[in-house]
Amino acid sequence: MGIMAVDKTLASNRLIFEVRRDAAKYQRFRGDLEGTLAEYGLTQAELQAWRERDIRTLAQLGVHPYFLPQVSRLFEGAARNHNQSRAAQFYAQRMLAEEKSRG
Amino acid sequence: MAEIVGVLALSHAPGLTGWLDKAEERVQRALLDGYGELRRIVESLRPDVIVGVANDHLLNFPLNNVPDFCIGTAKAWQGPAEWFVDWVSVPPYQVAGDPETAKTLVREGARRGVNFAFADQLLFDDNWSVPLFFLTPRHDIPLVPIHMNCIVPPLPSPERCRAVGAVMAEILRDCRPARERVLVMATGGLSHDPGGPRYFEVDEAFDRWFLALLEEGDADKVVREVTIDRMVAAGDGGTTELLAWLVAMGAAGGRKARTICYEPSPPLRCGMGAVAWDMSA
Repeated sequence: MGIMAVDKTLASNRLIFEVRRDAAKYQRFRGDLEGTLAEYGLTQAELQAWRERDIRTLAQLGVHPYFLPQVSRLFEGAARNHNQSRAAQFYAQRMLAEEKSRG
Repeated sequence: MAEIVGVLALSHAPGLTGWLDKAEERVQRALLDGYGELRRIVESLRPDVIVGVANDHLLNFPLNNVPDFCIGTAKAWQGPAEWFVDWVSVPPYQVAGDPETAKTLVREGARRGVNFAFADQLLFDDNWSVPLFFLTPRHDIPLVPIHMNCIVPPLPSPERCRAVGAVMAEILRDCRPARERVLVMATGGLSHDPGGPRYFEVDEAFDRWFLALLEEGDADKVVREVTIDRMVAAGDGGTTELLAWLVAMGAAGGRKARTICYEPSPPLRCGMGAVAWDMSA
């Protein structure tokens, strides 16, 4: 993981890039995740990670790190994004708690 | 011959506008004082245009096509981009561009070994929205935004960033009208790790070491010691935004920086700070 391990060609990176830039795509992502996922030619591993909101696996597959907190905000909202916010706690639980348990 | 009247570099982390109340009161005061001082510096310098350099945050350039430096050539800009309004939490704003200055940098850069991309549409997130909110709250100084690649390897090297800053300053001085007053402003950093294991941490030791190097004013030493690996170790997803500061350092031409403020702030998830180079010295 980390910026040096990004897979620039991973389709999920294109998905995240577009959803943040386009209000209509963001609305669809919120209301019809499967419909959004179907448009990007994702691998089975990516599809499963998105369905499980598993940002750690997305990171391991090569999603750019900068996108990962943004994915937490796509799911949990961006306003008042302090450390106790739903989005920041989502990140902590999905990325960091698991890391500690895996040692 | 235009004049570079000042060079600044400052953090743009969105906690400063979005959830500053979560920082300790002393930190809130120190940062508001520091950014207030930056505003007074800008006011005293009376720039005709701000040439800004900051990370693009993967907002305008998808991973298949990331320019190292892209200059915004539009007549007018607006921000924040829609999805970032809630996050950055500043009122919508418009600010003039400066197409002539922007195009001069593109044209002359091509003659001087710098391949500036250019665009007349760029979305703004915290990169400009946070600094402008504090430094030019009336949004009354034209901005030439330069969106650079700080986070998609291969990154422009520290040495390259310094050299690009020096070329920018040379072009502005040589090719823009006499008496035009230009402020160069880098935004981003200091240590932070969006998307990494240190998301809730700050590397204060790195930040203080970096600021001390800028204060020492030995640009050769800075680009030798502040390697990309060293920045990545201090926070993988964000600390390399300091490459924009090295562009500013290049524009300042080897002067010593002065630290305006620095606060390592886990609640803001960023080492927050700012420096100024006094171009009259």
